[in-house]
Amino acid sequence: MIRIHRGRGGSVTRTAGVMRIVAAALLCCSLGAAGCSSKKAQGVDNLNGAGSQVGTETDKSTLEKNASGEGVIGGQGGPLTDIHFGYNDYTVQPQDSSILRANATWLQDHPDRNVQVEGNCDDRGSEEYNIALGAKRAQSAKDYLTTLGISPGRISTISYGKELPICHEQDESCWQQNRRDHFVVSGGQASR
Amino acid sequence: MTITGASAQTWPIAVSGLKNLAGDDSQSISSRFDRTLSRDLTLSGYYTLVDPHTFIEDPQKSGYQLGQFNFDDWKSIRAEFLVKGSVQVSGGKVQITARLFDVYQQRSMMGKTFSGDPDEVPRMARRFADAVLEVVTGTKGPFDSKLAFVSTRRGRFKEIFTQSIDGQDLFQVTNNPTINLFPMWDHNADQLLYLSYKTMAPALYIANLVERRETRIDTHHGRIIGGAISPDGHRIVAAIENAGATNLYLMDSEGNEIRELSDTGGINVSPSFSPDGQTLAFTSDRSGTPQVYTMSIEGGAPKRITYSGEYNTTPAISPKGDSIAYQSRSGGRFDIFKIPIAGGTPEMLTDGSGSNESASWSPDGRYIAFASTRGGRSRIYILQVESHKIISTLTEGNGNDTNPSWSWWLGD
Repeated sequence: MIRIHRGRGGSVTRTAGVMRIVAAALLCCSLGAAGCSSKKAQGVDNLNGAGSQVGTETDKSTLEKNASGEGVIGGQGGPLTDIHFGYNDYTVQPQDSSILRANATWLQDHPDRNVQVEGNCDDRGSEEYNIALGAKRAQSAKDYLTTLGISPGRISTISYGKELPICHEQDESCWQQNRRDHFVVSGGQASR
Repeated sequence: MTITGASAQTWPIAVSGLKNLAGDDSQSISSRFDRTLSRDLTLSGYYTLVDPHTFIEDPQKSGYQLGQFNFDDWKSIRAEFLVKGSVQVSGGKVQITARLFDVYQQRSMMGKTFSGDPDEVPRMARRFADAVLEVVTGTKGPFDSKLAFVSTRRGRFKEIFTQSIDGQDLFQVTNNPTINLFPMWDHNADQLLYLSYKTMAPALYIANLVERRETRIDTHHGRIIGGAISPDGHRIVAAIENAGATNLYLMDSEGNEIRELSDTGGINVSPSFSPDGQTLAFTSDRSGTPQVYTMSIEGGAPKRITYSGEYNTTPAISPKGDSIAYQSRSGGRFDIFKIPIAGGTPEMLTDGSGSNESASWSPDGRYIAFASTRGGRSRIYILQVESHKIISTLTEGNGNDTNPSWSWWLGD
């Protein structure tokens, strides 16, 4: 594939070393793995589908819904309500504290359920910085819920950065919708 | 003549067909070589191709060595440089000899002979293009290398692709319907570091494209959300998020921690190694806004590099180690800037058109690949650093192309 014209001299040094192989072998199709349907598949599609059981079947993460074609759903996608943030900010806004109190009440009423807080950003920053910013936003909600008496062990966090917008226009209303924490509840077993 | 420095001026060059000595009667090999070479010379920003329709001479009927053709046939169509050569195929192997001539001085400037399989012909052309730049400008060209990038061209999802700089050999590295970001080549262009959500949570992977296997970097410190691989391939700096704070850690290539490099409650991301592997540039919000810093991989206090602008991120240290390219936000979009590695006056490289992000240096340090929305959807573009000339797109296709990584030279 990449090897080419190894003529005169010039041996290629490999720096592979000892590697801990966590992932499965590459190129599932050529290795005849079961359940791989595309004959044209190439690259390193090795873990597709694995490890995707974060919640129960009815409580998929936004990424799982997106991956399975259900789209990105914000706001009223579950029993808990989203909160929103200011630009490049991760502090809980005063007007959202009542939402978090209501979310905490619901969690207290459903002690067998856990929650994953998904932090998201608008699309005006860089990708990596936004993943870190979304993590800050998810953590802010987790900290707030914890101060309201929810066990931190019931709350997991994930950031999607700016990768899963629910609104695609370039205006403040849209940016505001995308700067959100979304709450996904899962079944009684701790999910992570 | 010698061209020193880059300017808006380009030099007319004629790429004549290769004379068929044996086995290329259809001229398919010659045309592949010419097409690739012509594209690379155009992408260099130093040359304008003379239209082949104006060529007077038929390369199959004339010679390709000094004294076997008439320079007036090229001078009269205003070519200042001329590439001629020959091809012969025997036993399934291709041998190509190519030569660069100075038309006005009527002399040969450089010649190369390549041999290999027919599918190696484009790479022979890239090596010849790099040699043309070396003899004319004094610095080897950067085209015998690879581009990795993120694209949504195959659907809604961000997947990682590779191709040659001149747009051939497209290869899809990932194929999972989640999120894949930040591809980065190791020095040999054998391995790609990238971030993927394919387990539904972010993790850093090293895909070895030669051995066709990959490693996931795991850590007990938290979740890895980005990283960089050192020039020697033995070290990784990972941005690890834990309880909302993201900090940088130096690790070996198996994910074993060597040391924590930053320790703030805030955001420290987007590491970039210097060519000697001893210095890092990265983005931190420790001042209150995202700014570019440098620090030693041995640890110690970071030095703030950027002061103008309230959102400076995604630094990339140049191959010479003397400057840092980064993106600076202005009005909700970004431009690419360059600043001396010790700090100083930023130089704006892009022109305020579209959003310009994710600078990646060419191995010779004369070019930057970056993602831009200047043409509507995001594409990868090539910029000549000294002249600020945005020469061309490097990617074509549906969807958005982002996160370019320009590899080191592929080597022998």
